Amino acid sequence: MPITINHGLADASNGFLLTTVVLYALAMLSYACDFAFRKERLIAPEPAQVSELVGVGPAGAAAGSAVLSAPDGPGGSGRGSAAGGPDGAALWPTGFWMRTAFALTCAGLATHLVAIVTRGLAEHRVPWGNMYEFIAAISCMAVLVLVAVSIRFRAYYIGLFVLIPVVLALALDVTVVYTPAGSLVPALNSYWIAIHVTAMIVASGLYIVGAVVTAMYLIADRNERRTLAGLPSRTEGLMMHLPGTTVLDRLSYRTILFAFPVWTFGIMAGAIWADHAWGRYWGWDPKETWSFITWVVYAGFLHARATAGWRGRRAAYIQLAGFGCLMFNLIGINLWVTGLHSYAGLSG
Amino acid sequence: MTGTPAGGNRGAGGTASPTVDPRQAELPHEGTAELADGAVSADDAVSADGAGPADGAVFADGARPAEPAPGPGAPRLGLVGWLRWGWRQLTSMRTALVLLFLLAVASVPGSVLPQEGVDPSAVSQYYAAHPALAPILNRLSLFSVFAAPWFAAIYLLLFLSLAGCVLPRTFRLVGAARQQPPRAPRRLARLPMAVSYVSPLPPAEALSSAGRLLGGKRFRLRTGDGWVSAEKGYLREVGNLLFHIALLALLVSVGLGGIFGYKANRLLVAGQSFANTPTALDVFRPGRLVSPSNLQPFSVALQSFSATYVSSGPQLDEPETFNAALRYSAAPNSPTRGFALRVNHPLTVDGVSVYLIGHGYAPEFKVTDGAGNVVFNGAVPFIPVEQAGLTSEGVVKVPDAAPSQLGFAGVFLPTAADQNGRLVSEFPAAQNPRVSLVSYAGNLGLNTGQSQSVYQLDLSGMHRLSVAPRPLAVGQSMTLPNGAGKITFTGYRQWISLAVTYDPGQLPALISGILALAGLILSFMVRRRRVFVRAAAGPDGHTVVEVGGLARSDAAGGFEVEFAELARELRTAQDGITESVSSDNDQSLSIREGE
Repeated sequence: MPITINHGLADASNGFLLTTVVLYALAMLSYACDFAFRKERLIAPEPAQVSELVGVGPAGAAAGSAVLSAPDGPGGSGRGSAAGGPDGAALWPTGFWMRTAFALTCAGLATHLVAIVTRGLAEHRVPWGNMYEFIAAISCMAVLVLVAVSIRFRAYYIGLFVLIPVVLALALDVTVVYTPAGSLVPALNSYWIAIHVTAMIVASGLYIVGAVVTAMYLIADRNERRTLAGLPSRTEGLMMHLPGTTVLDRLSYRTILFAFPVWTFGIMAGAIWADHAWGRYWGWDPKETWSFITWVVYAGFLHARATAGWRGRRAAYIQLAGFGCLMFNLIGINLWVTGLHSYAGLSG
Repeated sequence: MTGTPAGGNRGAGGTASPTVDPRQAELPHEGTAELADGAVSADDAVSADGAGPADGAVFADGARPAEPAPGPGAPRLGLVGWLRWGWRQLTSMRTALVLLFLLAVASVPGSVLPQEGVDPSAVSQYYAAHPALAPILNRLSLFSVFAAPWFAAIYLLLFLSLAGCVLPRTFRLVGAARQQPPRAPRRLARLPMAVSYVSPLPPAEALSSAGRLLGGKRFRLRTGDGWVSAEKGYLREVGNLLFHIALLALLVSVGLGGIFGYKANRLLVAGQSFANTPTALDVFRPGRLVSPSNLQPFSVALQSFSATYVSSGPQLDEPETFNAALRYSAAPNSPTRGFALRVNHPLTVDGVSVYLIGHGYAPEFKVTDGAGNVVFNGAVPFIPVEQAGLTSEGVVKVPDAAPSQLGFAGVFLPTAADQNGRLVSEFPAAQNPRVSLVSYAGNLGLNTGQSQSVYQLDLSGMHRLSVAPRPLAVGQSMTLPNGAGKITFTGYRQWISLAVTYDPGQLPALISGILALAGLILSFMVRRRRVFVRAAAGPDGHTVVEVGGLARSDAAGGFEVEFAELARELRTAQDGITESVSSDNDQSLSIREGE
């Protein structure tokens, strides 16, 4: 039964996605302006260091003679406050540029979601059947994670760094990768696409934010090591607005902690689908192989982070290697290797 | 192995030098100190760590043995010693990590080079394109990476390392399940998280109140003289072990499927049927312990096949739907049933699954030989050579023709159209079917004893007949020169190719996968933590209560919030009356983070 594509809605979707790119680009600029024009520090000095000073000082002595207060929520902001985020940071963004940036990000996220929904309605299916749609969905997930992490951990400082790759990816998506709305090939026409591909999109969005925060961690780490060594830091201006390595490391780890089980689930769902469609649950198709490699490298990251001598920078590099595998699987395998997953819709 | 964050006892890098981390030197190399009670009861163990990450010493995970460091001057190792050393090396975290990365790297060629098990024809093409390189690659098993001995060596070593780590830990977990929490360290203020306050209650009552509160929160309790020790979160290790054991089970399931299962292919022209026997299957790949005579005795007939394609727009020529109407019976004498076989909708009979994996056209020919006898009348499956228009190629072999055998090499065009003088197929559906044939006469070479592909003509004994190949429409004939006979294109049918697979490891693999995921989530969500409470009468007669907290495996953070909340509740419960804290004390918050 042929499916009729609603071209009006498809065009509307394209318009919304273009609007999204513009909004994200403006948000990116506003984040940059915030870094440039903000006078005071965005992040209070790391709480761990502060309280450590208190703890080591005579007032917090182990003799137990000092009467210490029970801890109230930092900043009085209650129970959900700042688990891992910088204590004392405000729940909502502060300063004109940061507020503008965050508002633009949220507006962009809204048009992004509308673009995806209208595309799906135009095609009468889940809108992730080719590379154009897949990139749009992954970048949407990345921004969704950005907004969630920003609010949950008061980590508004990651906005600029997440939006740079998102804007680049979306700009390429609407120009080079663009594929007009269409129906699915029979191999993809299964309810499993909603399960398997959605899981992969969610995990990829989380992995992107994890990788960005890890890159920030590496910058902060380099800065900290140079400062410790008494060398001049070339990123001091930037570091003024970023938290220390501990916070960045945890933030990145948390995203991976979320992403990894979702990725595992996605691979399993893919295996079940492959069994339905092709008669085997695992066949070492290039896409399968690289999703396996990605899984193995991220598993290696999780172990490395828990192993003395590997945590810190080494684990961070492993995570970035895992992210490299993820990106190669998304881009390289789709464009250069033919396999059962060749749905990019680019070769015609 | 995932999610086993633990202390420095998990020797990985550079532990040969004891100066790297004193805590590693303290611990037994076996790493058996699951809860390292010895270390905790020695009060100095905590203080020795200072404000550093005390979790290593107090909460010795014992997950992976530290790397043994038989330095110079160590006693000579005997055979048993070397074996022990090798086993520890194998089961160390560093080895596991290296094996994990080796596994990832070893998989790469499998995705870059064509693989025998995935696409054999691509391997032959590679041989043709790189005649010098291909045999070398083949010798290194690079065309069947995932069946290669070196690949198996990596994953078997990895799983051995895994088993060597996980099984002892499972026994230890069972032991730990009956163990009490450790005694409270003497100086709680030295723990990563500590709070102290004054309570109006006498010390004993303050402690029993703390015990009630922590017990109500399902902490496991141990009490002593002036202290309460509480621990929670054993499920983390359960989840962690479950994940790793399920991975081992997954590997076993995959192996089971390979040994007791089979894969087969069968091309089926509309109107034909076949029974599930090795001779009726085109390709039959049984597992090592499959008896070919005992295959599930079902039979399948293809009644009709239909495909629809996108007829306009950017996705022109792409398939939209495939539908194969089957009749099948589970056993020779059981009733037949109908089944609509589609992509993503396999037929399952008797535990065996039948999948639709391909389709094509089978033009029908009638061949009359020089003597006027009909020597061939039937459909011949042609193989698609391109997907957009489904142009298909095939051969017709007529061994019974007289005076000499006949052979035809043909091209079938479902929707033939003239494109700049070349005849091409414009659309995959059969809207204007044409067949174009090149005719040969001579000896087909079928009696040489060598097996021959049904899709190829052996031209060594044949000569081409001088008749111009012209595209035939349905019903048209071509008369062969020199009274060799006549061939008529009588019509066409469609064929489907089926994959028949039986994999008894499938369900165990699925269950293992689900358990692995459950274990993973459990180990990521639960955090193992200890809370200690000490209460003693202070110099001014007030009761000074100290609360200390320690979370191993809290790499993502978050325990500090729980600890703060717990400390607040403990205090409120003991306070009874009012908050008697003056505001200037608020500054002396003493929560320290472990990292």
